[in-house]
Amino acid sequence: MTWLIWRQHRTEVCVLGLLVGMFGIALLVLGTQAHDLFPGGPARCAGEAGVNEDCAASFRRLDEEYGYVENLLAGFYLVPVVIGAFLGAPLLARELEDGTWQLAWTQAVPRMRWLAAKLAALAGVTVMLTGMFTAVLTWFRQPFDAWEGRFQYDAFDVEGLVPVAYALFAFGVATAAGAILRRSLPAFGVAFGAFLAARMSVALLARPAYATPLTTMEPVPVGGSMDQAGHRPVPSFADWMIEHGYADATGRRLSWTEYYELEAAANRAGTNLNQFLHARGIQQFEIYHPADRFWTFQLIEAALFVAVAAVLIGVVVWRVRRRIL
Amino acid sequence: MTASEFALRTDGVGKRYRKGWALRDCTLALPAGGVIALVGPNGAGKTTLLRLVVGLLAPSTGTVEVLGHDVTASTPQTLSRVGFLAQDHPLYKRFTVAEMLRFGRACNLRFDQGLAERRLAKLGIPLDRRAGTLSGGQQAQVALALALAKRPDLLVLDEPVASLDPLARHEFLQVLMGAVAEGGVTVLFSSHVVHELERVCDHLVVLNHGRVTLTGDIDTLLAEHRLLVGPRTATDLDRAGAVVEAVHSDRHTTLLVRDGAIPAAPGWQAQPVALEDLVLAYLRRPSEPSAAVTSGVAA
Repeated sequence: MTWLIWRQHRTEVCVLGLLVGMFGIALLVLGTQAHDLFPGGPARCAGEAGVNEDCAASFRRLDEEYGYVENLLAGFYLVPVVIGAFLGAPLLARELEDGTWQLAWTQAVPRMRWLAAKLAALAGVTVMLTGMFTAVLTWFRQPFDAWEGRFQYDAFDVEGLVPVAYALFAFGVATAAGAILRRSLPAFGVAFGAFLAARMSVALLARPAYATPLTTMEPVPVGGSMDQAGHRPVPSFADWMIEHGYADATGRRLSWTEYYELEAAANRAGTNLNQFLHARGIQQFEIYHPADRFWTFQLIEAALFVAVAAVLIGVVVWRVRRRIL
Repeated sequence: MTASEFALRTDGVGKRYRKGWALRDCTLALPAGGVIALVGPNGAGKTTLLRLVVGLLAPSTGTVEVLGHDVTASTPQTLSRVGFLAQDHPLYKRFTVAEMLRFGRACNLRFDQGLAERRLAKLGIPLDRRAGTLSGGQQAQVALALALAKRPDLLVLDEPVASLDPLARHEFLQVLMGAVAEGGVTVLFSSHVVHELERVCDHLVVLNHGRVTLTGDIDTLLAEHRLLVGPRTATDLDRAGAVVEAVHSDRHTTLLVRDGAIPAAPGWQAQPVALEDLVLAYLRRPSEPSAAVTSGVAA
């Protein structure tokens, strides 16, 4: 079976391996240069951007010299999907397209063993390639993460565990779609579409609700966003801001219209806005997820996508076992 | 007969797809040894029946027993006893012929690589060519060599020669019959062409509209059926229920009867019937559940 699987899927594995290898080497080279901008390592500068002179200078150069790479990388959340769908789509669809399922399943290897070997091997390659790619990308983004936090879409979606889960999801969708549609290319398309739809709704609707966000509520400071003691405002840059705004003295949230009315009143009165708001007991509130929830959220989202992938693979196994093909 | 002397036994087998029933109430008992032809028009359910026999599909109703084992169990042992050549003889198009043989060796218990290589060498099919670049006849030969190298006890072929030109068809049947002559293997193949069956087959199954309409040993079937030709008559002649088909021309009436060797009535002439005419007569009959006629196996 090992030889057969390799012989049948070596083209996809080699193409994907080459792609991952090329991007990986490019990122390693660029990443080494970007890391060199931070003599003590980028982690030391996390949160110090506005305070430490050296770190501020490093971040400025990072943005100037490698900012374009970071923008390009935002599109790389699709790489795991390409890997998973490219390996999953032909698994059954190509056999069904060419009629060779009748050849494969009438040899002495029972079809469930055939399917288990194929699923294990190709899902394994999916995990391996995505894992390698994500490891390099996560390392590459360390300086950027120190600056921007890891909860932005261009960080959270390409780092840690979720890319591997995305890849397995795409693998599951592509395999199941291939079994049902009996064609590789449409199965690949379905996997791509399903991932875009799932990831968009998860990122926008489900992800903020993985845990109850924290809320801070404090009076508008007289002197600006940073108070005299110089400690950082909570939440910090690395936290994930869900919503922020103003509330009155009783804690009732003000709509933005109400806020603009206050702003206009302050202008008419000719006083400093912050002092005007402070005098009226207006408070600032912020709803956010703290930065240390990163791995919890990664685990939850990864589990979500892996669970869907498992269900889809279950459907494939059920269909093959019941001989509904 | 004991169970293992039957190559194939089906009991009340039906297969329903989303569109409807492809096969219904199929009860067969086919003896091991010899060549069995499964005949029927396109869409009669031949492919469905053969896929059920090799375990590619599971029946919606009934049971299928091949060489004494339930096929849905599909263990390596039962799988290795049955060879299958699907319609259009699918191969992995990008594999070389040698890689196809390696596939056969990797996926089978008693694969005889030497046998396959000798067969292909005799036919002049090079091992280093990609399967997809071979001619249709050569692809069929590679698929057959692969199936025979499994050393199956039952070889099932779905329309093996339908897509081949006359020369390739002849060569294919020659190789197939050679393998049968070497012994041991029971062959079950489907065809929508009735022509030439008599020469190659021992046993016949006629399938029409998803039902078995006739099954039996060919010699027995031919001995049981006769053509009776007499003056044209419109009266009901089927008093004994033995008339399979009545054809009226301007002056004559021709009856196909299944009455053993009862002497013909005065004024009527009895003639033997050709296998092709016999099959066509059964295929022309309207389908009805009780139309299945069995013969030969019980004898």
